[in-house]
Amino acid sequence: MRLETRKLLDKAFSGLGLISIAVMAIALLLILTPIVWRGSKAFVFKGTIEHRRVMLEQFHRGNAEKFNKDYAEVVAARAPIYDMLTDFEAGTEQRVSSIETEMDAKKERAKELKAEARVLKREGQTEEAEKLEAEEDRLKDEAKALKTQISELKESRTEPLESVIDALQELFGPMPGQRTPVLLRQQYGQTRWDRTLVKLHEVLYTEEWDYSNADAMGILIEKPRIDQFIGTEMESFFPYLEENISEMMQPRRTFYWQFITDKSKDSHIFGGIWPEVLGTIYLTIGAMIFAIPMGVIAAIYLCEYAKEGRIISFIRICISTLAGVPSIVFGLFGLAFFLNTIQVSDSKSVLAGSLTLSLLILPTIIRSSEEAILAVPRAYKEASLGLGASRWHTVLTVILPAALPGILTGIVISMGRAAGETAPIIFTAAVSVGAPLKLWQTLSQPTPALPWNIYNLCTEHEAVDEIRHVQYGMVFTLVAIVLLLNLGAILMRARISKKLRG
Amino acid sequence: MKKQIFAFAAAVAVAGAAGASETIVIDGSTTVGPIAKAFAEYYMAANPEVNITVSESGSGNGAKAMVNGTCDVAIMSRPMKDSEFKAAADGGAQPVAHVVALDGLPILVHPSNPVQDLTVEQVRKIFLGEISNWSEVGGPNKEIVTISRDTNSGTYETFAGLVMNKEKIGGKCEYVGSNGAIRQRVQSTPAAIGYAGLGFVDKTVKALKVNGIYPSAETVQTGEYPVARPLFMYTNRYPKLGSTLYQFVTIHLTEDGQEMVEEIGFVPVTAY
Repeated sequence: MRLETRKLLDKAFSGLGLISIAVMAIALLLILTPIVWRGSKAFVFKGTIEHRRVMLEQFHRGNAEKFNKDYAEVVAARAPIYDMLTDFEAGTEQRVSSIETEMDAKKERAKELKAEARVLKREGQTEEAEKLEAEEDRLKDEAKALKTQISELKESRTEPLESVIDALQELFGPMPGQRTPVLLRQQYGQTRWDRTLVKLHEVLYTEEWDYSNADAMGILIEKPRIDQFIGTEMESFFPYLEENISEMMQPRRTFYWQFITDKSKDSHIFGGIWPEVLGTIYLTIGAMIFAIPMGVIAAIYLCEYAKEGRIISFIRICISTLAGVPSIVFGLFGLAFFLNTIQVSDSKSVLAGSLTLSLLILPTIIRSSEEAILAVPRAYKEASLGLGASRWHTVLTVILPAALPGILTGIVISMGRAAGETAPIIFTAAVSVGAPLKLWQTLSQPTPALPWNIYNLCTEHEAVDEIRHVQYGMVFTLVAIVLLLNLGAILMRARISKKLRG
Repeated sequence: MKKQIFAFAAAVAVAGAAGASETIVIDGSTTVGPIAKAFAEYYMAANPEVNITVSESGSGNGAKAMVNGTCDVAIMSRPMKDSEFKAAADGGAQPVAHVVALDGLPILVHPSNPVQDLTVEQVRKIFLGEISNWSEVGGPNKEIVTISRDTNSGTYETFAGLVMNKEKIGGKCEYVGSNGAIRQRVQSTPAAIGYAGLGFVDKTVKALKVNGIYPSAETVQTGEYPVARPLFMYTNRYPKLGSTLYQFVTIHLTEDGQEMVEEIGFVPVTAY
């Protein structure tokens, strides 16, 4: 090959390398930025007075005196809109009743005419009587027209009002004087300013779909709701609401770090993710408790004790194959073996989940421990044996300490994997709602866990659009946990290596 | 070190004996899930020492968990099948049904879809793949995207029984694992058609009239809406009277329980 060609290829190769590193960096950025950005919004956001009310009433947190003062202001700010609603309702009633009196009067008059006509008929004045009867019919028709007017009035005033009230309840929670709803989600208004604005928009505008073009899909038309109320008591309702929304909600920058340590209320609509975080920690630690001893002992046996041969290479192939088995298969195995066959617990449990996860990460731990043990210089072992130490003693005091950094790396990698795996715990440990467990309960009870609940929230939750922030908060927390685990282990590894060297 | 371990083990044992808290493990349908979760929240708020866990893995899994004895309550959006009853009986369990709510199965389309009304026959043909364009049922010229629940789902079985007459769903149907996922697919696909529980209908999707009847609490309760069904909680035998489990599976009979069922979007079994 000529020198130029070689140089060119060389440059091309390093260029390619740079490009691939850049692509990787960009991909990482693309994935991590939204996670961090949107995830942090679960912790730092503009919280409304309703958020502080939830905190005070459900979590007994915050200054009650100050809250009461604020809340009094909020109630005062909201009072005019509720007054307008009541006025409007009263107006409807008044109109209806005035029409009703008119209608009743006409009916009464018609009855009188009927009686008079009958008298006249009996006296033989047929012509007069017919005149009266005609008058009676006219009155009756008028009464009927008034009746339709009432139903029209109800339709044009009551129905739009009801839909305003529905939208308003989503924004501010129950109306004053209303019975407290049973569901927690209906007892409070919007706790976050961003959601408040969305709900405000729903109060201010109605959505309609225009299907006039039969050949195409409909088009969304947003109509200001105020159009339905022009010339009524509600006319100033919408501008007032729009202008004073921040007085009515008092948004304030909130740092809700307790998102991690709070229990969730009403399936994640309020509160935090502590049961999930704790569940993930339990599952990960549990998996480590089972996998580390098994994995390291297996690695020691394979490297130090076993005689190279067909059986050992077969076992090695098996381990490698195990590492490539899809995680859902482990999940099903865990269900079939741990739960249904040997029944480690009566229901799904953290124990069963940990056992399943430990099987999943076992191959990684064995392989990395093996590599680490094999990387220990032969001279160490020979020196130890030469000094008369037994094989077991050598392994314990010379080989294992020297291999520890490598073993730790493998453990940490698999720890991150155990924390993030979803499939193995679906059937063995994870539930979508549950309380944070005490340590002894892990032996028999299932737990929510971050990876499964992220999936569950985004696919199965009935109000998923309302609680996107929780979902991102969970993702963020999970990524942070894995990152912290890795960081911690890297630090530990560095310290141990230093100690070994020095 | 050894002493510490012993002390720790002893502490755990003592704590375990002291805190033998009650648990209710619930598994099954994603349709009944919201009801079970609300009831669990409600019950745990009043009885903090009880831990109720809910997992939503599909009616079929609920039944299997009941048969295997790994759950206390199997929530199901369809009745148990003969084969499941038999498997349960062979395992010494005796499933007892509690109907907690009624549910219509709204046929969902994207709100931009001008179609308002379909007959059961049309829906069936759409899912069979015989009708494959919206223009055949009065809509725009767009190919229909059918979305169905997976076969593990009670909602699927109800749909298969009431709409499909046990005929197999044909064409290019997309199967998803939960009610929420169906709603999401319909939300994001203008030409889609799917079906889900009543509690999952919001303004991001449009429920069609079926045979001219709109799915609502009234039409479901009176049986006018053709695709409706009861929602179940199964327990192994009737729970011991007065027990935690008994209290839990009778929540739907209380006024609060009925309000919760209604507010989540389903239909209470009886109206007082």
